[in-house]
Amino acid sequence: MDELTREFLIESQEGLDRMERCLTDLEERPQDKELLGEIFRSVHTIKGTTGFLGFTRLEKLAHAGENLLGMLRDGRLSANESIITGLLQLMDALRGVLRVIESHEKEGEGTAEEAQADADLIGRLHELQHPSAVPVTVEAAVAAGGAVESPAPASLAHPAPSAKTPAIPDSDTAPAPAKAAVSVPESAKAPAEPGEGKAKGPAASDSTLRVDVILLNRMMNLVGELVLTRNQILQATATDPNFTMLARRLDMVTADLRESVMRARMQPVSNVFSKFPRIVRDLSQMLERKVRLVMEGQETELDKSLLEAIKDPLTHAVRNSLDHGIEKPAVRIAAGKDPEGTLKLRAYQESSHVVIEVSDDGAGIGVERVRAKAIENGLITAERAALLAERELLQLIFLPGFSTAAAVTNVSGRGVGMDVVKTNVEKIGGKVEIESRPGKGTTLRLRIPLTLAIIPALIVRSLDQSFALPQGALSELVHIPPERLSSSIEWMEGTPLYRLRGQLLPLIFLDRMLSPARKASGLQLTSGAPAEHEGLPERDHFIAVLDADGRRFGLVVDGLADPEEIVVKPLSTVLKSIGLYSGATVLGSGDLALILDPGSIATHAGVVMSKSEEVAEVAEVVDAMASRFLLVEAAERRAAVPLGDVLRIERIPLSRVEYIGYRPVLNFEGHLLPIEDSAGVLTAVAGNPDAQITVVVCREGNRHVGIAVSHVLDVAAGNDLFEAGSQHSASGITLLNDHVTGIVDLASIQPLPGVEQNSEWNSVQETVA
Amino acid sequence: MSEKSTTTNLAVRKGSQKDGPAAVMLEMCSVRVGQTLFGLPISHILEIVGNTRPQAVPLAPDFVGGLVHYRGDVLTTVSLRQLLGMPLQADLGSQRGKEGHHDILVLESSGGCFGLLVDSVGEVLTVSSADHEPNPSTLDARRSALFAGAFKLKEGLLVMLDPERLDPMRLGASAA
Repeated sequence: MDELTREFLIESQEGLDRMERCLTDLEERPQDKELLGEIFRSVHTIKGTTGFLGFTRLEKLAHAGENLLGMLRDGRLSANESIITGLLQLMDALRGVLRVIESHEKEGEGTAEEAQADADLIGRLHELQHPSAVPVTVEAAVAAGGAVESPAPASLAHPAPSAKTPAIPDSDTAPAPAKAAVSVPESAKAPAEPGEGKAKGPAASDSTLRVDVILLNRMMNLVGELVLTRNQILQATATDPNFTMLARRLDMVTADLRESVMRARMQPVSNVFSKFPRIVRDLSQMLERKVRLVMEGQETELDKSLLEAIKDPLTHAVRNSLDHGIEKPAVRIAAGKDPEGTLKLRAYQESSHVVIEVSDDGAGIGVERVRAKAIENGLITAERAALLAERELLQLIFLPGFSTAAAVTNVSGRGVGMDVVKTNVEKIGGKVEIESRPGKGTTLRLRIPLTLAIIPALIVRSLDQSFALPQGALSELVHIPPERLSSSIEWMEGTPLYRLRGQLLPLIFLDRMLSPARKASGLQLTSGAPAEHEGLPERDHFIAVLDADGRRFGLVVDGLADPEEIVVKPLSTVLKSIGLYSGATVLGSGDLALILDPGSIATHAGVVMSKSEEVAEVAEVVDAMASRFLLVEAAERRAAVPLGDVLRIERIPLSRVEYIGYRPVLNFEGHLLPIEDSAGVLTAVAGNPDAQITVVVCREGNRHVGIAVSHVLDVAAGNDLFEAGSQHSASGITLLNDHVTGIVDLASIQPLPGVEQNSEWNSVQETVA
Repeated sequence: MSEKSTTTNLAVRKGSQKDGPAAVMLEMCSVRVGQTLFGLPISHILEIVGNTRPQAVPLAPDFVGGLVHYRGDVLTTVSLRQLLGMPLQADLGSQRGKEGHHDILVLESSGGCFGLLVDSVGEVLTVSSADHEPNPSTLDARRSALFAGAFKLKEGLLVMLDPERLDPMRLGASAA
């Protein structure tokens, strides 16, 4: 394909995308001159270029549309539903031809049917130019779709655009002469118009540039490489003061560069959202629903490849909402709701994820119907179904082959849909959540990672190797010191288990799973049971509690290293087919680490979503609702720190604590951190310079403070305490693990000298702003 | 890039093939594994990375020598020793000082890039296509699947390796 044609295809596609957006807006603001001008320009540009490139089929179609649009723009016609439908059909036809050109490099002669369809469309567009003929006949013609057109035989007979002007008087009955007279100068005037229009346009297009995605990927790769080299340089020059400044500068530039390249790959979600007005419009007409589409957060940005990946799932979700969610107007009126339903698409960023919500105010999901359908389709046994709670029942709609639609319609009900949504979203590392209230509506939430290329991960050690564990699946870490090893890990006939807050958690030993020799013996677990237990070396073990699509298990590793933002590199097919690794990455140290895939590990080890685990999951959510605390022990007193405020837990030698007057402070990552030591932990060990202390680093307002503690005991959910009789909830204390525990009041920790004025100054600034 | 690199094709790629059996000079990178001298057409070699320690991949097929980091990508490497059923260097107690370090040839095949672990990389030899002979019929199946004949040099035989046949994707498919 030559450069010119390729350029033309890209430009035309963009033009049509713009046109689609404008057309749906036009429905709401039919008089908007700017919109009309924009649509006119898109079609006109296509027409102009096609004539030049010799695509006659396209030219004819575009020409017919241009005439109609010209009249709309000049205010001689006003856009109504049938005109917009006609224009949308024109757009589809143009897209169709563009696709043909793209694959065959020429538009082809077209079959007789295609030619007929073109002619029909052109005829219909002519029709639409004549308001007199409009209300009844055109409506009928549009409803008939591609059926043969009865009202305008004359225009059918002369589909060629050149024949157009003379054809009108023939076909037209009433206001013919006047109309014909008007439309001639109109088409003559048209070519001049885009020139004026373009004068406004270039401002935006001059400052942007089209870049091949492959080039961007390559840049991303190189930046990853640069980051690695930088890390190594930083390590190598750490001792040389001459290089420190240079290395810092390199560090900053690299970070900026990485950020910029990542941003270059980001696109606003409006690129995907923009096709929904059309889909909603068409579907609501087909399904006889009245739907208002509300879109929010269109400027939220997402990596291009991810954006591509959520296109289909979102379309499925929208179709589902329209078909199963929003009721027909009559039903809605009967239910006391606005006859017009609302479908809301909302995108927003939440930490390292972008959340996309599809919510409707429809009937919601009938839980009982879900239960009945699941049993009927044999997806679940009746006994099991009877035990499931509402929330778990909702999850059933994600099973393949599930559909509650009474009849299979064109739109949905074939039982593919929600499971496709779920698998596609999970494929890119996202999550799907559903919420539904009967009679009130359903919300489907897609949680998408910001970028595929860089993910936060915890680096774990096993088999003297580093592995990366994506943090998305990690819910907590448990440390088992050697002396507690035999008591903490329990064995059920060779299967290791851990009691996590009273729930049995199946354990998977990463080293055993990864060494083939052990794996072979693992197949005959029954005989090897006692040996397995004794085989555990007397050293620290760590359990990473993972949650892979609702399957919870503990992955036992030998050691933990720092969390890192890792750049995901794809693996070759041979290694991908092992099934346990989702990729590889280069660590800051220059070592390579394989990225573990929690879902595959669960599958490999046969962890299933058993009922008790599902319940545990529900309990977990309830748990999270209550406030959670970090339970610490400071000089033999127990205290609670609100978990939400805890940033880090640092184990440091006592020698690192310094004093300003009597106030202990810590130089923490280049910042001065005041340390709260009302319990006297520091004084208790003051005589011993080798002592290690634990500092809980917390966030308080917009400063950070440290709390010196002897031990960190647990994370637990606190319950409010109510005074007997008065039912007043007590402040400053909570019930943790059945003990009344004081909550550390972070706000009462005194600021460092001099810091106070500063923060006041800040707050003054804020008020001014 | 549909080069089916048999030795005849290699000759064609040199571009200077004359009519008849006239000899074409070919440039081969020589590598040593164990006692044998192997040759690879330099046109398929992207880079030689010396003295690298590949990262092991647990549960990977035997022929995989591990992963190496190469210009922003993670390359799968193929261990020629493993392929030929020779004892691994680590088992031999490391002849080269540093344990587990290898020279790696980064090769390009139709399926992408991969690394080939060898004991050492030697010089580039210029050989004549006239000295080429196909695999002997007595060669065992495993080796004849990997080798593409040999060149008769004065010093001994230079056994030809075909990068396409060493591609981990292909090896993986034939192992399965």
